[in-house]
Amino acid sequence: MSNKLIDIVNVSKSFGENLVLNDLNLYIRENEFLTLLGPSGCGKTTLLRILGGFESPNEGKVIFDGKDITDLAPNKRQLNTVFQKYALFPNMTIAENIAFGLKIKGKSNTYIEDKIHYALKLVNLDGFNERMPDSLSGGQQQRIAIARAIVNEPKVLLLDEPLGALDLKLRQDMQYELIRLKNELGITFVYVTHDQEEALTMSDTIVVMNQGNIQQIGTPEDIYNEPQNAFVADFIGESNIFSAIMVEDKLVKIQGVKFPCVDTGFGKNKPVDAVIRPEDVDLVKPKKGLMQGIVTSLIFKGVHYEMDVMANGYEWLVHSTDMFPVGTEVGIRVDPFDIQIMKKPESEDAEAVSIEE
Amino acid sequence: MIKKYIQRFYLLFIIILLYAPIITLMALSFNSSKSRARWGGFTAKWYVRLFQDDQIMTALYTTLEIALLSALIATVLGTAGAIGIHALRRKYRTFMMGVTNIPMLNADIVTGISLMLLFIAFRFSLGFSTILIAHITFNLPYVILSVMPRLKQTNISTYEAALDLGASPLYAFFKVVFPDILPGVSSGFLLAFTMSLDDFVITHFTKGPGVDTLSTKIYSEVRKGIRPEIYALSTIMFLSVLLLLILVNIAPDEKEDRKRILSAATVKRHKISRFLLRKVVPAAMVVIITIGGIFYSTKADRLGGANQVIVYNWGEYLDPAAIELFEEETGIDVVYEEYETNEIMYPKIQSGAIAYDVVCPSDYMIERMIENDLLAEINFDNVPNIKNIGDVYMEQSRQFDPNNKYSVPYLWGTVGILYNKTMVDEPIDSWSVLWDEKYKDSILMQDSVRDAFGVALKYLGYSLNSTDLDELTAAQKLLIEQKPLVQAYVVDQVRDKMIGNEAAIGVIYSGEAIYTQLENPDLEYVIPKEGSNIWIDSLVIPKNAKHKENAEAFINFVCRPEIAKMNFDFITYSIPNEGGRALIEEPELRNSKIAFPDAKELERCETFKFLGDENDAVYNKLWREVKSR
Amino acid sequence: MKNRDKKIKRLLAGPYIIWAAGFIVIPLLMIFYYGLSDKSGHFTFHNIAQITTPENLKALGLALLLSLISTAVCLVLAYPLCMVLTNLGVNQSSFIVLIFILPMWMNFLLRTLAWQNLLERNGIINIILGFFHLPALEIINTPYAIILGMVYDFLPFMVLPIYNVLSKIDSDVIAAARDLGANSIQTFLRIILPLSVPGIISGVTMVFVPALTTFVISDLLGGSKILLIGNVIEQEFKQGSNWHVGSGMSLVLMIFIILSMALIAKYDKDGEGTAF
Repeated sequence: MSNKLIDIVNVSKSFGENLVLNDLNLYIRENEFLTLLGPSGCGKTTLLRILGGFESPNEGKVIFDGKDITDLAPNKRQLNTVFQKYALFPNMTIAENIAFGLKIKGKSNTYIEDKIHYALKLVNLDGFNERMPDSLSGGQQQRIAIARAIVNEPKVLLLDEPLGALDLKLRQDMQYELIRLKNELGITFVYVTHDQEEALTMSDTIVVMNQGNIQQIGTPEDIYNEPQNAFVADFIGESNIFSAIMVEDKLVKIQGVKFPCVDTGFGKNKPVDAVIRPEDVDLVKPKKGLMQGIVTSLIFKGVHYEMDVMANGYEWLVHSTDMFPVGTEVGIRVDPFDIQIMKKPESEDAEAVSIEE
Repeated sequence: MIKKYIQRFYLLFIIILLYAPIITLMALSFNSSKSRARWGGFTAKWYVRLFQDDQIMTALYTTLEIALLSALIATVLGTAGAIGIHALRRKYRTFMMGVTNIPMLNADIVTGISLMLLFIAFRFSLGFSTILIAHITFNLPYVILSVMPRLKQTNISTYEAALDLGASPLYAFFKVVFPDILPGVSSGFLLAFTMSLDDFVITHFTKGPGVDTLSTKIYSEVRKGIRPEIYALSTIMFLSVLLLLILVNIAPDEKEDRKRILSAATVKRHKISRFLLRKVVPAAMVVIITIGGIFYSTKADRLGGANQVIVYNWGEYLDPAAIELFEEETGIDVVYEEYETNEIMYPKIQSGAIAYDVVCPSDYMIERMIENDLLAEINFDNVPNIKNIGDVYMEQSRQFDPNNKYSVPYLWGTVGILYNKTMVDEPIDSWSVLWDEKYKDSILMQDSVRDAFGVALKYLGYSLNSTDLDELTAAQKLLIEQKPLVQAYVVDQVRDKMIGNEAAIGVIYSGEAIYTQLENPDLEYVIPKEGSNIWIDSLVIPKNAKHKENAEAFINFVCRPEIAKMNFDFITYSIPNEGGRALIEEPELRNSKIAFPDAKELERCETFKFLGDENDAVYNKLWREVKSR
Repeated sequence: MKNRDKKIKRLLAGPYIIWAAGFIVIPLLMIFYYGLSDKSGHFTFHNIAQITTPENLKALGLALLLSLISTAVCLVLAYPLCMVLTNLGVNQSSFIVLIFILPMWMNFLLRTLAWQNLLERNGIINIILGFFHLPALEIINTPYAIILGMVYDFLPFMVLPIYNVLSKIDSDVIAAARDLGANSIQTFLRIILPLSVPGIISGVTMVFVPALTTFVISDLLGGSKILLIGNVIEQEFKQGSNWHVGSGMSLVLMIFIILSMALIAKYDKDGEGTAF
């Protein structure tokens, strides 16, 4: 892919005694849609604010296009931010809001007029020029906030949970809109969210964060299919996570039953975490299964059925297009490549994994 | 970093600006000299005397009672009003909010006057209740404006949810809506309380006799010099509020507790200290105020009691101990009120809004009151002590009370020049010194029409009762010429300013001169050779007095030699009471040339005469022109 | 159900509306009545015309001048102060408000009077200045002392509303302006200042009106040498005993008060700028 645009080197940040970012390293490529994903309080917004220049790190630096911008004021950076609560200027019309950055830069009036027109068209809000922000709906305000940022043609657009306040339908529409914008404008997006679905839909790269540490960096497929630890597995999608024993290479004992798998190199009889996605669990006749259980609940979900199966003291979550009524005795099978084996973290704090690429 | 220091420094600067006067007042409360202009060493005696001073304590409790009651009533009325207005249609709501804003935006003076006009027009007798009504009125906007934003924030669906869950509207209101708006209600209450406490102007116009709040009490004392007990009181009040606020602020915050994980014991400890600091201490203070209020209000005299006498006297003109003696002896309650000038007193009597029993006007004012038929003849059978008054004074009185029927001389004196021996070069014996460029900005002039014109007329060699327009214009011209030289126009403040060496020369009443000499021996008093004013303040009974016999008993009481002497010790003004004068122990005071000048000196002096309403208007107009130059 | 609820709520406003009618509206009408009639009750403009006499005009003009200056001084002092206070953070906001309300617990007359002690020739400030061999400050009994007194007494009324609007400005909005390239001066001029207009307007009226109409401050710190319109009115009522002329003058004053109410209505529609 293209070259590094932003390089975040050894960045740490704490508020008082509260460590929010712990010696973080990350780079962002040009024209990439990168998502910082994690639960609230994981440090993703702080990282975004450091990029925007609203916070300065206690340690480490931020390199932008080869230059150290760690101490540069926000107004001197070639980045623009779309704020969580839009932060439109309540005292200005929509047109004035959009024109703000351009006027500061001293652009000509005709240029500004053109840009306003173009930006409003881009976000499908033609003709809203003279409206005041508080007369707009949340989704409309959101789009204006984006329009206001992009008319400045920033190299990077920072978005802080921009869709958080919108309802589901609007959120989906906006997701497609953002993807379209990214493709049309060719600028780099750094996107912060706690919504894994949003992250999976839009991103080129997802950075999963927890407690100030990066948990995993990868494409949406990587993150979903091969979570590197239980936290990522749990946070991304639904999954069955087991405390298991790696008996030997390619054989793992889950709930007392040995399952063949494809992973090697964990040693013999070592405790590990094993992750099995619900759609990867195959329900078969009891005798054909490696393990037997009883269906305890059944819900129709449209594309599939969601079932809970009680087997060997664990309630398995299963997604399947086949239906088994409650009380049915079933067998459980899992294809070897559908079992994801992960090292157990030594303590909660060491949940972080170092990133080698 | 530097920016931070500049910010801190600026904050500090503003806080110093705000608190410098407060620190000054606190320091004054420990000043053993009675005059604010001189530091006489450290003392705590004013704090002791404060609690023995019924007048101040009563004023304090009246203030607190009014503040508490008016804030409470305004809070209830205002909260209900805010809820109601909030439910009104937009058009009416805007209108009501406009009306609500009036007392807050309107000038205090206009609000005060408008209420006074209302009370007088509808024959409310001015007193405690009128002050209360006025305070409620100007407190209401503060309550409404603090509750309103809270109401706007309140989510209507929580109220509806409560109804949905089966709560009655009333229950839902108190359980759901009220806690939401409570911060607004309580801050409204606090603001109302503070505003009421701090108000002077509106109280000034709506108060009646016998009722004083601290503000009006202080204002009536401003011209004399504030009694140090008041400083002590203010210090106590300020410090107790400060203490209360600190307690409330150091109480562990409940919200903080919820955020952190604390052991059950800590939470419990915090709960207890919160309860103590935020509930018990304030509650205890309220209880103390209430009990004190009840205690003092039962002790205090209010209008409406049967056996009383309402006295309207000059500020600090009678020893409070004498009043207590009188009350003890006769069982008659004395309602005592003070004024600063004859001109302030006159319209009150004339309007008849308040029925005073005993008033103490000056000579010319008595003449005017007799002419306008405002005074009652005194039944001298009830005033046998009149025999103690020197004949010479009774004779002088005939100038304004030809048959000695309406008035009993109370105090008298002359007007002259008080000067600081260390600040003038030549012996002073003439009014001309008041026009001497040398003393620019070191001259204190009397701030009353007749006194000021009297000086100018006498200096020109005219009578101080002149009604000749040419003579008056000449005097006015002289006063205008003098204005750039004058440091300030004052009434009784001459005293403090001369003691504090603020000015070299001041026009002063002889009685004040004796006191100032005691405080500052560099001061000397002289009656200028051109002649001056001799004045007599006499006790009279207004025609509409409701307790005439009590009034006569009161007059008879103060004519006793012991009482007259006691009063002389208190204010050092010359007494016409020969018996009283004989009782003065110190020979230098008994024979003081200032207090009891030779008859020869008095020959050059005139009393003021009432010149008629029209001439009064001329004087007033000329004087106002001088002042507004 | 909902309608009945609203009706009950509206009823709650009843006592207040009656109170407001009786003690706000009627008294104002009384002033109009007195101001527009003579002693025998006939209609006249004579009382209002009294404002045009040279001495009254001068008192009004001087009052306007002094109150405008002190309003401006208050604004210049208060605005940066509020910026500093806002920067200090939200936690202390109640404490900050208290710092400015606390002095009101010391009587207003006493506080003003204390300035006499501070400003007099041999007053505390001059003693301190003398100690450092600095020239003495001689402003007591001059208009400057009156301005100082006005600024001192009314500063909190400027600080509180401005602080209130400033602390309500979303920090993200300021961050957004910076983000879009505005430097701190541009951010101030284009965002913070326009957003604080309701507070400024409310502060300006709350300082200007009482300063314009005061009679106490000019009395205490001006040495009675300086007559303001407030003194004229007070004297008409308390000494001259001509209530008609006094009311007439009050009506003239009310023109300025109505002007400031109109200002508030225009710039602070939502009542954002209330002080408390």
